[in-house]
Amino acid sequence: MARRARKGSKKKGKQNLMPVFIGIGAIVVLALILGSGVLKKGSAARGLEPTPNFRIAEYRQDGSRFASSGNVYVFDGRVENIETVGNARLVSISIPDNPDERLPLLVPGDVKLRVNLTRGDRFIFETTCRTGKMGDGKQVKGVLIVKNVETK
Amino acid sequence: MKQESAVLILALVMAGMSTAQMPTGGAPSGGSAVPNSFDASGSAAKPQSNDPNRQGETPNPQVLGIEMPLMDPSTDTVKYNGGIFDVGNNAAVRTRFEKYLQQVPDNSDESKRYRALIKDMLKQTQRAGRDKNYAVGGDVLIKVGRGLYKASEYPGDGNQSGALASAIVSALDVQRSSLARERDNEKLEKEMNTLIKQADEWQNHNVTRKSALSAASNGGGDGKKSAGRVDSGGDINALRIAQYIKTAAKKESTQAANLATNESAKAVSKLNYQAMLVALLFSRRFDHVIIGSRVYRHIFRDGDTTLNLDKDSKAHEVFSGGLGLPPTVNSIDSIASNARRDVDQSIQSVYGMLARNKLGEATQQLIAAVAIGEYMQSVATFPADARQRIAQYWTLRKRALTALNARDYATVEEVAAKMKELDVDFDDSMLLSYTTGKKRQSDLAIRNASKALRNGDEENFNKYITEAGVIWPRNPNLEKGTEMLEKFDAGDPVKEEFVRLYDGKEFRRIAREREHYKIVAMDPELAKKYEEVISLVMRMDGMLEQIKAVAEQDATLGPCMAYEKLVEWQKADENFANDTEMTLVLKDFESKAHDFVQALRDGDSCEKRGEYGSALSCYYRAQCKYMQSTLAREGIRRVTDIIVKATY
Repeated sequence: MARRARKGSKKKGKQNLMPVFIGIGAIVVLALILGSGVLKKGSAARGLEPTPNFRIAEYRQDGSRFASSGNVYVFDGRVENIETVGNARLVSISIPDNPDERLPLLVPGDVKLRVNLTRGDRFIFETTCRTGKMGDGKQVKGVLIVKNVETK
Repeated sequence: MKQESAVLILALVMAGMSTAQMPTGGAPSGGSAVPNSFDASGSAAKPQSNDPNRQGETPNPQVLGIEMPLMDPSTDTVKYNGGIFDVGNNAAVRTRFEKYLQQVPDNSDESKRYRALIKDMLKQTQRAGRDKNYAVGGDVLIKVGRGLYKASEYPGDGNQSGALASAIVSALDVQRSSLARERDNEKLEKEMNTLIKQADEWQNHNVTRKSALSAASNGGGDGKKSAGRVDSGGDINALRIAQYIKTAAKKESTQAANLATNESAKAVSKLNYQAMLVALLFSRRFDHVIIGSRVYRHIFRDGDTTLNLDKDSKAHEVFSGGLGLPPTVNSIDSIASNARRDVDQSIQSVYGMLARNKLGEATQQLIAAVAIGEYMQSVATFPADARQRIAQYWTLRKRALTALNARDYATVEEVAAKMKELDVDFDDSMLLSYTTGKKRQSDLAIRNASKALRNGDEENFNKYITEAGVIWPRNPNLEKGTEMLEKFDAGDPVKEEFVRLYDGKEFRRIAREREHYKIVAMDPELAKKYEEVISLVMRMDGMLEQIKAVAEQDATLGPCMAYEKLVEWQKADENFANDTEMTLVLKDFESKAHDFVQALRDGDSCEKRGEYGSALSCYYRAQCKYMQSTLAREGIRRVTDIIVKATY
C-alpha cells in the first residue's frame, strides 16, 4: 500500500507542479523581454556625447597631460585600422572634420565590448587616458584606453 | 702623249732645276711620314725620293750631252740628277711663281716693241717656209739677224736673241768659209789640170824627140854625138815633168784637205746650231726655237735636218714623237709650237676659272702656264688684279704647306677653312682627315702619358709625351702634360693635403679639385683612395640627380618620398651622411615636406619622452601625409608593440 501510495503520490505531485513550471517559464520569458527592452532603453538613455574641445594636436604634443583628473574622453570616430596584438587591440580612428589626424585607442584584452568593431564604421568610444608601465618599470604615458564602445 | 711629255720635260728644265732645285724630302726624321706637300687643289702629295725601289733605275737620257729630266705625269714628279722632284711643290718653282705673281704685267713700250720684232721675224720666216719664191737667204737672213740683235737689247730677252743671232752668223760664217774652200778647190782643180796638161805635152815632146834621135843614130857616124844630146834633153824634160806632177799632187792634197775641213766644219756647225735650238727649247724661248728652226734649212742647205741623237736613246724617242722616224729639227719646232699653244690655252682657262671663283684650279693652271711659258706674251701680260687673287690663294696654300711641314695641324685646319672661303670647290677632305688623325694620335699619346704618370711610371710618361710632341708639336694638351709633370715633381705637398682631406671625409672638395689631386695617383695606395672618392662622389651625384627627377613628378608626395629616401641612404652609409651636397638636398626636401617631417620628428621626440600615445598619434599623422612612409610604419609598429605590452 505504501508503495502504491508512493506511486500515486508521485503522479499527483507531477500534475501539481506543471502550472508552477509554466509560470516560471512565463516569468523568465517576460523577464528576458523586459530585460532587453530595459537594456536598450538604458543605453540610449545614457547618451554618450563626444568630449568637446579635445584637441588632437595638443594630445600629439603631450598625451600624459590628458591622464590627469577627469580623464574620461568620448570620441565619435571612424575605425581606420585595427591592430591585434595577443588579446589586445590597437584601434586607430579618424575624427570627423579632421581627416589628417588619427587617434590611437587601446582595447585591452580584458575589456569585453558589446559591439563588434569593424574597419570603416563609426562608433562612439568611451576612453580614459592612462599611464602604463612596462615590465622594466618604464612608463608608457598618455595611452587612451577604451572602456566602452557604442554604435553610432 | 709623248709630245706632251716632252713639253712637260721642258717645264722641269725651265723650273731651273739644274741650278736650284731641292729634292722633296721623304719622311721627317721624327718618325711617321708626313706629306710635305699638297697640290693647289688641296690633295696631299705622296712622299717621294729615297725610295729603294727607284734605285737601280736606268739613268736619264742625254741630249747633246745635257741630261734630260724625265717627268712622270701620273705623280707630277720629275727624276733628275738622282733626285725626285715634285713640280707643284718645288722650291725653284715656288720662288719663280711667287716672283711672277708679284711682278707687274709687262706692258711697257719696250716690251711691245720687242714682241713686235719677234712677231715680225716669225712672220718673215713663216712666209719663207710657205712661199717658194720668198726664200730665206740673203736679205731675209740679214733682216732676221739684225732683228735678233735688236731684240737682244730688251732686258727681258736675256740675250737669247743675241745668242741665236750669233749662232746663225757663226753657221753662216762656216758656210762662207766652206764656200771659199770649195772655190779654192775649183781653182786648184784647174791648176792641176793645167799642170797635168803641160806635163803631158813635155812627155809627148820627149817621145817625139826620142823617136827622131833613134832614127838618126841608126843612119850615120854622128850617131854618138846626137845620142848624147838626145839623152841630155830627155833628162831636162823628165825633171820638168816631175816638178809638174809634184805640184799637181800638192794641189790635190790641198783640195782633199779643204774638202775634209768643209765636212768637219759643217758637222760641227750643225751640232752647235742644234745644241742652241735645244738649249732655247729648254729655256722655254719657244719663239726663238721656231725662228731658229725655220731658218735652219736655209743655213744648212744640204737638206739634212736630222738631229744628232743616239738612235737607241729615250731622247731620240721623245723627239721623234714615238713614230720610229729619225728626230729632226722640225720635231723641236713642233714641240715649241705645241708648248706655245698649250700655254695660251692654259691662260685662257685661268681666266675662265677665275670668273667662276675656282681659285685652286686656276692656280694650278697658272703654275703650269708660268712654268712652261714664263716668257710668252700671254703669261707676261697676265693682269695684275688676277695675279693678286691667285697670290692671295697661293699665300694661303703656302702657309698650309708650311704648317703641314711643321706639323701645326690647328693652323692647317684654320688655313684650309680660309681657302675654302676663297674657293668653294677646294677639297679639304683629305687634308682634314690627315690632320684629324694626327691630332687624335697625339692626344692618345698624351692620354697614355697621363695614365703612365698616374701609375708613377715616369719612363713611359716621358716616352708618350715625347711621342705626342713629335706627332703634333703644338698640341695644346702638351701644356697639361707639362703641368702634370710639375705636379709630379711637387707631388708631396699635394699628397699630404689629399690625405688630410680624405681623413676628414671632405670628399666633395677632392672631387671638386680632382685635377689638382690627380697627381696623388702615382702612389698606388692613394690611387685607390682617389678612385674611391671620385667614384663615391659620382655615385652620390647620380643618386641625387635621380631622386630630384623622381621627386619633381609629384609636388606633394615627391618631397616626402625624397626626404625619406635620403634619410634612409644617410642612415645606411656614413659617407652619405657626411656629404654636404646630399645634406643640402635633404634640407631642401625637408622644407618642402615640412608637415610630414615634423610629424616624424614629433613622433620621435615623444617616443624619447615616453609619450607613446602621442608618439603613435604622430606616426599616424605622418602616415596620413605619406601613406608609403617606411619611417612612419616602423614607428607605428615599434610604439604599438610597447603600448600593448604595458599594464595599465
